[in-house]
Amino acid sequence: MAFGVLQTEYAGRRGRLFGLALRTSLMTVLTVGLYRFWMKTRLRRFYWSAIRPGGHPLEYVGLPMEKLLGFLIAVVFLAFYIGIVNLVLMFLSFSLLSTNLWAYALSFLGILPVLFYARYRARRYILARTRWRGVRFGLEPGAWGYAWRAMAHWAVTILSLGLLWPRMTFWLEKYRTDRTHFGSMPFVQGGNWKMLYRPFLPLMAAPFLGGAGLVVADQGDHAAGIAIAGLALLLALYGLVHYRVHSLRLLTGTKTVGGLGLRARPRPGRVLRIYLFGYGLAGLSLLVLGLVLGGALSVLIAGMPGIDLSAEDPFATAAALPLWASVILGVVAYFAVFIMWSVLRQVFVTLPLMRHYAETLEITGAHRLAEVEQRERDEFTEAEGFAEALDVGAAI
Amino acid sequence: MSRTVIRVGQEPPALDAFADFFDGRRPVARRAALSLEACPGGRVLAIAPPGRERLLWPLSEIRRVPDQAADDILVLARAGDPLSRLLVRDETARRAILSLCHDLDRRPPVKGAGRLVAWSVAAVASVALIVFLLVPALADRLAVFMPPEGERALGDATYRQIRSALSEDGLEPLPVCTDAAGVAALQALQERIAGQADLPHPLRLEVLDHPMVNAFALPGGRVALFRGLIEEAASPDEVAAVLAHEIGHVAGRDPTRNALRSAGSIGIIGLLLGDFAGGAVVQFLVNRLIEASFSQQAEADADSFAHRTLAEAGIRPSAMADFFDRLRAREGEPSPIVAHFLSHPQMGDRIAAARAADGLLSGPARPALSARQWEDLRGICR
Repeated sequence: MAFGVLQTEYAGRRGRLFGLALRTSLMTVLTVGLYRFWMKTRLRRFYWSAIRPGGHPLEYVGLPMEKLLGFLIAVVFLAFYIGIVNLVLMFLSFSLLSTNLWAYALSFLGILPVLFYARYRARRYILARTRWRGVRFGLEPGAWGYAWRAMAHWAVTILSLGLLWPRMTFWLEKYRTDRTHFGSMPFVQGGNWKMLYRPFLPLMAAPFLGGAGLVVADQGDHAAGIAIAGLALLLALYGLVHYRVHSLRLLTGTKTVGGLGLRARPRPGRVLRIYLFGYGLAGLSLLVLGLVLGGALSVLIAGMPGIDLSAEDPFATAAALPLWASVILGVVAYFAVFIMWSVLRQVFVTLPLMRHYAETLEITGAHRLAEVEQRERDEFTEAEGFAEALDVGAAI
Repeated sequence: MSRTVIRVGQEPPALDAFADFFDGRRPVARRAALSLEACPGGRVLAIAPPGRERLLWPLSEIRRVPDQAADDILVLARAGDPLSRLLVRDETARRAILSLCHDLDRRPPVKGAGRLVAWSVAAVASVALIVFLLVPALADRLAVFMPPEGERALGDATYRQIRSALSEDGLEPLPVCTDAAGVAALQALQERIAGQADLPHPLRLEVLDHPMVNAFALPGGRVALFRGLIEEAASPDEVAAVLAHEIGHVAGRDPTRNALRSAGSIGIIGLLLGDFAGGAVVQFLVNRLIEASFSQQAEADADSFAHRTLAEAGIRPSAMADFFDRLRAREGEPSPIVAHFLSHPQMGDRIAAARAADGLLSGPARPALSARQWEDLRGICR
């Protein structure tokens, strides 16, 4: 280990996460969603404490009650906006254009700046409640500045048919990073946007390959055309992961915090494998669980009077159940699938991803940490209320 | 030097270890020696970072940071001190602290409860104001201004949604019944009831091939009966009564109002519930509940429209009562909760009102359709 270089350990285990996620999701459903503020808090405590740069875990100190308060504040403002704006848009759309597509499009466009605003505010809240070695992170105010920049960058990206995507990635990341602090020490995003074109190449190549497929199909060779188009789709999927992972590497490597530096070495192949196996495993577990529960249930039902499981038509058996029983079964099954899927996804996808990103992260120049001082607490009453209300907050 | 220690009762765990202490001022780990000491107020944990003043944490004030990912590090804080942290990795020290400190998991008192209550009230009030007053008022005003083409487009969009939602195989939308003689009979029935009625839209009446005993009206004059309803009815008068009720909704422009209302309120419900359970289904049910509470008056109005129209056309309004009587005998009075979801006033009241409405008839009542036409209508889904 080089002098002043801190490796990051990862201490999260699947079993414990499974228990925590399952218990808190159940509580969330049982409380009609109210417990979700507690669930988020507790899961974040888990995920944060699993990441240990230099052996010392991060700490998440956000509180459920402040999230609830922030959510209530957001509801007061957003209820008016969403209710009235949607109604008027629906009216105008059908009155003037006889379709609801415009209403949906306009309503989405109208909420878009609020989404970016909410995202930035949520990030500010989360960083303000994150500590490492007892010292707070922080993000300076600047949500509206972020919102209009994000809108402008998206417009430019779309107008350039996606070619200027790396430019957007870089400048938005720089806006966020340059306002981030660890204690008294500001982060600085170095590098430039052109460096992101290398990782962008595979993704950029995908549409060209797709176009080639179309040409081949147009020439009469349909099978080859479809095969090439399929390859283009796979390339696009891989390209997306490749771009994400490698741009993260580059952007992290060019960040500095005072005399400290960062080094990230995540690998796109590994990330892709985690996604594929993770979702595969989650799906498989859900299926096995469904079969086991289904089997147990049919044994249970077979024990009920007046039910003949040997009937030819399984739907007839289902129809023989009393109405209340099938309603309860339906509701329980719906929530069971919903909960299990979100829990299994965390266990098999989120945790391995976090592990990989954590274990490939290094901090350099750690001997200069002594220069960092604590920063003031960012009270931030509204917490991540807007993001929570608009469902753009991180899943955890 | 040797000492004789006489221990009485359970042996207190020894504590002689080091741990990382963070003072909350700088991100620097201080390797502090830990020891247990007796003080007048009880035992304390002494934390001695090198070259610094010793800290004394009373055992009763030591808290553990909850929901940690792993147990190999015990993260401790002192109640009332939000910043200092002690990270204990040494296993015997962890054991000792876990067995000695009994208030490790005590939660701090909730701060700002008053503010939370105030904002809860504000949130509930603002949502109630918007969902129950602002959105309905706006929807009622705007529904009148919606041009006929717009209403028709809205109705058509909803009709498509309903038909694909009820589709048997999930691919083809639910089929419309098109038997020529049946359609002619349906036309005759519509002519007889709504011939003179003053409606904002020409009626577009169809029968859908589905066993449900139900009917509905949509914006832009669209009315649909389900096959199940025609099969359940004992006479053409009963079908006429249900049809007259739906036409009452068209006359009152209720479907347009409802559509605009749900456009406003469904977004707000989504806002409140988040996606805690795949949202959509729950949102739909809650929205149904809100709508139902709106439409009680609309249902009563549609009923009285039906009574008047039927009487003017010389059809017994009490046919509606006959129909509901049979439904009730078969399924029983719905519980208040179910009734709420059904968005209709209590059946008993509706039956009584329909029977009383026979008084509106000016002459002898005639059947809504001839025996032949009734036969044709019953075969519309052939």
